[in-house]
Amino acid sequence: MANKAITTMNARNMQQVSATQRVVKIAVQVLLYAFLILMAIIIIFPFYFMLISSVKELAEYKQTVQTLWPNKIVLFNYVEAFNTANLGRLFMNTLYVGLVSTILSLVITVLTAFAFARLEFKGKNALFAALLGTMMIPGELFTITNYQTISNFMGLKTLGIQLGSQWLQDLGNWKNTFTVLIVPFLVSIFYIYLLRQNFLQIPNELYLAAKVDGTSDIKYLWKVMIPLALPTLISITILKMMGAWNSYVWPNLVANDEAHRLITNGLRNAFTESTGDVNIPVQMAAVAIVSAPLFLVFIFLRKYIMKGVSRSGIKG
Amino acid sequence: MVDSKKSWKAWLYLSPAIVLLLIFTAWPIFNTIRMSLLEGYNAMSAVSGVKFNFGFKNFVDVINYGDFLTYLWNTILLCFLTVPLSTLLALIIAVCLNAIKPFQRLLQTIFFLPYVTNSIAIGMVFAAMFNMVGNNFGDPNELVITAGIINNVIEFFGGERINWINVGSSYAANMFVMTVYIVWNALPFKILVLLGGLQSVNKQYYEAAKVDGTSRLRTFTRITVPLLSPMITYVVITGFIGGFKEYSSIVGIFGAKMGPTGDPDRLNTMVGYIYKSLSLQPGRASAAALILFAIIFVVTLLNLYISKKNTHY
Amino acid sequence: MKVVLQNLTKIFPSRNKKSGEEVVAVNDFTFEIPDGKLIGLLGPSGCGKSTTLYMISGLQKPTGGKIFFGDDDVTELSPENRGIGLVFQNYALYPHMTVKQNILFPLQNLKGADKLPKDVMLERAYEAARLVQIDELMDRKPSELSGGQQQRVAIARALVKMPRVLLLDEPLSNLDARLRLQTREEIRRIQKETGITTIFVTHDQEEAMSISDMIVVMKLGVLQQIGKPQDVYDDPANLFVAKFLGTPPINVFSGEVKGGKLYLGEQAVLDVAGVDDRKVTVGIRPEGFVPDANGPMICDLSNVEIMGRDVSVVSKHAASLNPQIRSIVDADCRISVGDATVRFTLKPHKVFLFDTETEERIRF
Repeated sequence: MANKAITTMNARNMQQVSATQRVVKIAVQVLLYAFLILMAIIIIFPFYFMLISSVKELAEYKQTVQTLWPNKIVLFNYVEAFNTANLGRLFMNTLYVGLVSTILSLVITVLTAFAFARLEFKGKNALFAALLGTMMIPGELFTITNYQTISNFMGLKTLGIQLGSQWLQDLGNWKNTFTVLIVPFLVSIFYIYLLRQNFLQIPNELYLAAKVDGTSDIKYLWKVMIPLALPTLISITILKMMGAWNSYVWPNLVANDEAHRLITNGLRNAFTESTGDVNIPVQMAAVAIVSAPLFLVFIFLRKYIMKGVSRSGIKG
Repeated sequence: MVDSKKSWKAWLYLSPAIVLLLIFTAWPIFNTIRMSLLEGYNAMSAVSGVKFNFGFKNFVDVINYGDFLTYLWNTILLCFLTVPLSTLLALIIAVCLNAIKPFQRLLQTIFFLPYVTNSIAIGMVFAAMFNMVGNNFGDPNELVITAGIINNVIEFFGGERINWINVGSSYAANMFVMTVYIVWNALPFKILVLLGGLQSVNKQYYEAAKVDGTSRLRTFTRITVPLLSPMITYVVITGFIGGFKEYSSIVGIFGAKMGPTGDPDRLNTMVGYIYKSLSLQPGRASAAALILFAIIFVVTLLNLYISKKNTHY
Repeated sequence: MKVVLQNLTKIFPSRNKKSGEEVVAVNDFTFEIPDGKLIGLLGPSGCGKSTTLYMISGLQKPTGGKIFFGDDDVTELSPENRGIGLVFQNYALYPHMTVKQNILFPLQNLKGADKLPKDVMLERAYEAARLVQIDELMDRKPSELSGGQQQRVAIARALVKMPRVLLLDEPLSNLDARLRLQTREEIRRIQKETGITTIFVTHDQEEAMSISDMIVVMKLGVLQQIGKPQDVYDDPANLFVAKFLGTPPINVFSGEVKGGKLYLGEQAVLDVAGVDDRKVTVGIRPEGFVPDANGPMICDLSNVEIMGRDVSVVSKHAASLNPQIRSIVDADCRISVGDATVRFTLKPHKVFLFDTETEERIRF
């Protein structure tokens, strides 16, 4: 067997093969970088376009051939954008909804995940499987009924009308409140699942040892499990905050009044037209303002975001 | 005794989640099915105590309602344009990223950037890039003030400018813009997952292939793709699920009217249909939501079946 | 195919950038591997043996030095152009391909003038499979095979393109003890049948000694000794080699040479004419002890382990650097466990003297 191989291999000019192979290797590296840099430019370009357009005067923006760098940098688009869209109010609304729903959601998620990871009760596995099963159902299916639910919670509004009680009517009608933006989304099966997996990795002996020492469940949860699961909790917090920042459909449907509007539908409502002869520099300034916090979060917490995302596939 | 006490405690911990899930998850599942099966159900009459017949009329109505099929077609078209394209592109980018050393992390971060954006906000940026400012599009007296940066680029390379999204734009041009935007938006997640998969593949397979003189293309098709097939299946399935629920990226570019000025709802989707009819015709909205669920379910099973056939280990 | 390594050196940059320390994995290796032999690269973990193998394969680039296959300088050549077969420690069989597809894979890569017709490829795949006796498993997936069978498939895949040099990285480490014995005979047989120069890496001296034509002993990136297994065993170059080879391991003592006699403690145990008076480290092979009622070396007897063919005597001596001395003696020598002491004479060619500082061999 070997003899034939030796003849075929010797037939080659080793020096030449070696030189060719070096050239090919360099060429491949050059092509790889060329392709990746081209793709990276395409990926970044919209952000670049947004930034340069936001600091152009409207007249410069409307030039037949657009400039790739503003002739004159102006900042008044930002002021106008801030006022037009009432961004200050939208920021505060979104921050409030984001913070409250994150905190409440974390509490519920931790308690639920703890029960599923550490406690024994009848039907635990069946219940958990059922919860996971609901993850398959598109959220739109829930939205229809939830819209009815929050319009007339537990039939209280109807009851209020029948009894002539304004108070009951208000209690039943959640439209245009912060409650409607927070409560329906407090439970996320995915976060419960994520945290439960994390809790399960913590050895059960720690829990039993704590029991022997007479530590209460809550104290154990607070002192042992939460610190150990901190990275997951941080991921959940970021994704939840980003969720509030980016949510459009539900707020647009149920809380589209000035007092409760969130940033994304506020932005879309302030600039209903994105095509035609509109003041694009101002729009771009508004978009830049809205995007800035996301980029800051990304720069500082990239690790947690990427970790959370690679496991979820859910757009924050 | 201890066990029953524990069990009682467990239910206490679970109670907030259970209550919320009953109201906002369990009841909607039941109620959506119920409403979809009550003929001509609508909220107004329901409140005033009207009784509805039981039947499949809502489903029939949804399908006969002319626009639904258009929306369904839009949704399917977008899915089949964007999912294969973004998956293939993400795979190529991930493989290239995996093959370089300097600047790998920097490039990886850049490719992840579109993920942390707001799809409505950046949709407005894309709209601006494709937007023409002017009058009388397509007229001999056409008056264009600025054709938009994309048209500038096309004209720079000697092409003709295209009316992408403005009044009188073509359906194909609209779809092209949507595809570009959705692919751009979908890349980061897919690259992240595929690159993660690539980095966890045992390096020895590649060393073995190298010793055997396997060409780059063959290494890609015969080793990388098969070994990565679970990840590919995952991004394709999540891509299809996302694709069938496409809605807000269209709002981002075209606004709530879901089409270019003068032709609203031209690009509307199944989810768009659900939102449109949800307050006044919840029966039909429910039927549409169930149809959407069924489609997603079937497509997911189909994907799993195909990947099972192709993954043998 | 003769393989020559010339001043081969591999330096890994430090992982910790701040400390800036480099790791010299392989330090200035020069040796020649004759054509058609089975060579074992032997040493404890971290000695650079796998790095050397990877440099021969071309998967790692040497920092300095040259590698020749025959007269060809292959140092700059990438692996696929070297004409080697490589068997990985974990076999690296493609999990999604059948055994047949795995073995065919290298052949399907051949291009241009080397390209083979389909039936020839299949024929050669079956030939390779028959050689390693797995031709009945061709349609299985690697996950359906035992460790030993996977090993054979990996060897068949490496052999199928008729390499000039076959490289095996720790070929037996993933097998259980029984399979290990069987497989090492198998490797020997395959190497004999094909006549391909074969280099394998191992940390198990018994494995290397039992099948190699030649062993290369390494320590911390430095070549210690090359030679036929028996020669290296009988004539170790330094204390490390002496200690590394042989089971049970060599017994080490601190001793002193005075007036041509070797003293262990107060006992003059051996004539060592021609060695100057000095302190020495002494290594005595277990089989170098001969029980003798009047022997010069007196040890405290701890235990006698009967092994049938021979007897293992466990004893203690004040000059020993190990807690116990283990000697293997003929079963005919009756030593009773009840005795307090046991006396030995020593076989001179089983006793090695080493410098206490450099640990280099002192010949006598």
